[in-house]
Amino acid sequence: MTSDFDSHVRATVAWHFDPDTGSPFWLGKRAALDFDPVREVRTAADLARFPDVSEELRTVPVADLIPRGLRDKPFRVYESGGTTGAPKRIVDAEARGRMLLWARERLTELGVPAAGDWLHLGPSGPHVVGSDVARHAAMGGGLFHTVDFDPRWVKRLVGNGRGDLADEYIGHLLDQAETVLRSQDISVLNTTPPVLEAICARPDLYELVRGQVKAVIWGGMSAGQETVRLLEEEFFPQATVAGVYGNSLMGVAPQRPAHPGDSHRCVFQAHPATTRVQLVDDDGREVAYGERGRVLLHLVTDEMFLPNVLERDTAIRVPPAPGATTDGIADIRTVRSMGQARIVEGVY
Amino acid sequence: MASPAPVAVDPMIAGRTVHSADRVPLTGVLGEPLADIGQAPRLLAVSALRELRKHADGTPPGAEVFRRAADLFADAELDGESPEDYVRRVTLGAGLTTTTVRLATAELTAEMRDFAAVADAELPGTDFGPGNRTRWVPRGRLFAAVLASNHPTPSSSWLQALFHGYSVLVRPGGRDPFTPRRLIAALLHAGLDPHRVAFLPSPHTVGEFLLKEADRGIVYGGDRAVAAWQDHETVAARGPGRAKALVDVVPDDTVLDHLAEYAAFDGGTRCTNLSAVLTTGPVDELADRLAHRLSALPVLPATDPKASLLVLERSRADQLEQTLTVLRETLTDHSARLDLHDPFVRLDDGSFQPRPLVLSADRADHPALGTELPFPFVVVAPWQERDGIAPLSRSLVLNLLTDRDDLVDRAVLEPGIRKITTGTVLPWNVPHGIPHDGSYTQFLLEPKGIVGDGRLGRSVRDNRGDSDETT
Repeated sequence: MTSDFDSHVRATVAWHFDPDTGSPFWLGKRAALDFDPVREVRTAADLARFPDVSEELRTVPVADLIPRGLRDKPFRVYESGGTTGAPKRIVDAEARGRMLLWARERLTELGVPAAGDWLHLGPSGPHVVGSDVARHAAMGGGLFHTVDFDPRWVKRLVGNGRGDLADEYIGHLLDQAETVLRSQDISVLNTTPPVLEAICARPDLYELVRGQVKAVIWGGMSAGQETVRLLEEEFFPQATVAGVYGNSLMGVAPQRPAHPGDSHRCVFQAHPATTRVQLVDDDGREVAYGERGRVLLHLVTDEMFLPNVLERDTAIRVPPAPGATTDGIADIRTVRSMGQARIVEGVY
Repeated sequence: MASPAPVAVDPMIAGRTVHSADRVPLTGVLGEPLADIGQAPRLLAVSALRELRKHADGTPPGAEVFRRAADLFADAELDGESPEDYVRRVTLGAGLTTTTVRLATAELTAEMRDFAAVADAELPGTDFGPGNRTRWVPRGRLFAAVLASNHPTPSSSWLQALFHGYSVLVRPGGRDPFTPRRLIAALLHAGLDPHRVAFLPSPHTVGEFLLKEADRGIVYGGDRAVAAWQDHETVAARGPGRAKALVDVVPDDTVLDHLAEYAAFDGGTRCTNLSAVLTTGPVDELADRLAHRLSALPVLPATDPKASLLVLERSRADQLEQTLTVLRETLTDHSARLDLHDPFVRLDDGSFQPRPLVLSADRADHPALGTELPFPFVVVAPWQERDGIAPLSRSLVLNLLTDRDDLVDRAVLEPGIRKITTGTVLPWNVPHGIPHDGSYTQFLLEPKGIVGDGRLGRSVRDNRGDSDETT
């Protein structure tokens, strides 16, 4: 039995390995594969046969990532956070936009207002999240407010033991946020858990946010179970609090609506049309429901093909929601050490 | 040893228990699950700060509350925990012997009954004749305590802050959440206003956040934990004590007995226990004799009434063993030959006991000098006049065994030496008013001048018909 996703995998893999449509990056790898990707990839399970090429995204010339079949599209380059050394680069023209349309519906289901203005207190620049949030605002006809926010600088400060300076930088961001909130009507605040914590610790600013914001969306870094509870019940009970898990490579996995019997207050679900997130043990086997495993990502779009990407996060595997075909993931945590680089979590 | 059922420990804010969704198991020294600890994330700390700040008015709760709480802490069943349960939990969690925990309980409760006398002894007189006096008042409203698990008695620090009128947020040590939890239960049963206290088991980062947000605070821990707070005016940093002795006399049996007691009292767990000896005499001989004396301490499980030495669970024992392996690379081991036991003894109950250890260095400025470990551990090194005062400095206590008054004078004037003892006396059990590390009471309180006869002028009622002015 094959699913829609299996057919999508077959067609998309064939596209990436067709000399007329595929990217130089993947076409150049074809000879080194010990199987024929066009004929032998039949289902999603076959994605496991590909190597994890994500490390190469740190150095490959990005033009080589663009599929020949899409040469006429206006591509943009985005970078991952750079938490684990040099950033990984991706290219995107329209695929991310399609995913965001789906994500917008999920957020609206949770109670995030469909219209209204947004304030984004998070990275922009090479980080995809800034343009994601701008597009969310635009999709609902809302205006997009933001501040300059350099997460790599904060990570560097924290990594060098200069936490005081990092705190001062956060204070500088919050001052700017306060200026926006004092005169503008903000419906949706999008930011990270550490920034939310800093907002809550500033009484005036907190009251300002609580008094007008109808939805608080957090993402970019993990938040513990108790933190999520406090955000929802104690600090922003009047607003919809929604988590979004994701990064430049995988895209976005918004929180799904709660179901009776859910083991966790916040369960994320990835974009079923293009993305699979598997949680695996040290031997690469998928863990059972309720167990913690390392995030293994497969992204399959006509623009980017990223199979078998082992991420730095771990999470709990949750059964699919009624009517859904893909698993939920909950209680994300960052793996403490990976390879050579020490992971420093800053504010994003 | 029979262990009580694993206990749920949760944050408590203003008398309200918060059953946190973030749980961390505490494994005891026998490898058994001892407690299931609910962690306070930063947002819960924000919540606690907000709530306590709202009610903090600086009024002292009154000495009677502390006297009653002391009785309850020592003798009562509190929230289902008997005094015996408490002792067992600290023993299994921190590895301290039951003797140490019982002694600590006696000391803590004695202090609680006597806080007023402690304060009186540490504060100068305040009466400057009629109409002129100073009052010692808290320097702020909120106090944060970030504790370690090396010993129960440091809880005295936040109890004093509470006594003087602060509202207090306590982040307990990871292996001993039991002492602050029980103290708070005792205080609440004794009538303390619940809004005066929060109990927040949490990661160290949350502790640091509390220290930044509170008006005053104290942090206990290793070098890494306290380094950032060393020069912070509002935070008292209590790192390793690095207590030392200078032996500039012929070390007879009295001196050796004294040094052994200085190193081994309470199992060597106190910050005031001897960590280094500098001597003008032969180093090897002194180190051998000290090692010989300490080797007589028996190997016993922590629950044995005769036990004095701390025990550890396997993971901490492994870590400590690595530390010792590194130290032995540049130091001479005097205990290996004189102690019949392995350096780490595996007890029948599954815990591990590090044996007392005496090492020697070949120079006064060896970097290992002042290393502090939670059991009788001493580094002996040579000292000569030309080495100067530096090797004796960075000491919570310096014990001077010398006939030279000039050395005593120089040590007294050295800012890096916090307390001086001379001869074969021990630094604990001193009368109130002898500073431990500067005046802690003056860290908590500041003098405020009050000039006038104590009345603030005529009230509006008395003044009716004259003018609206009041002063």
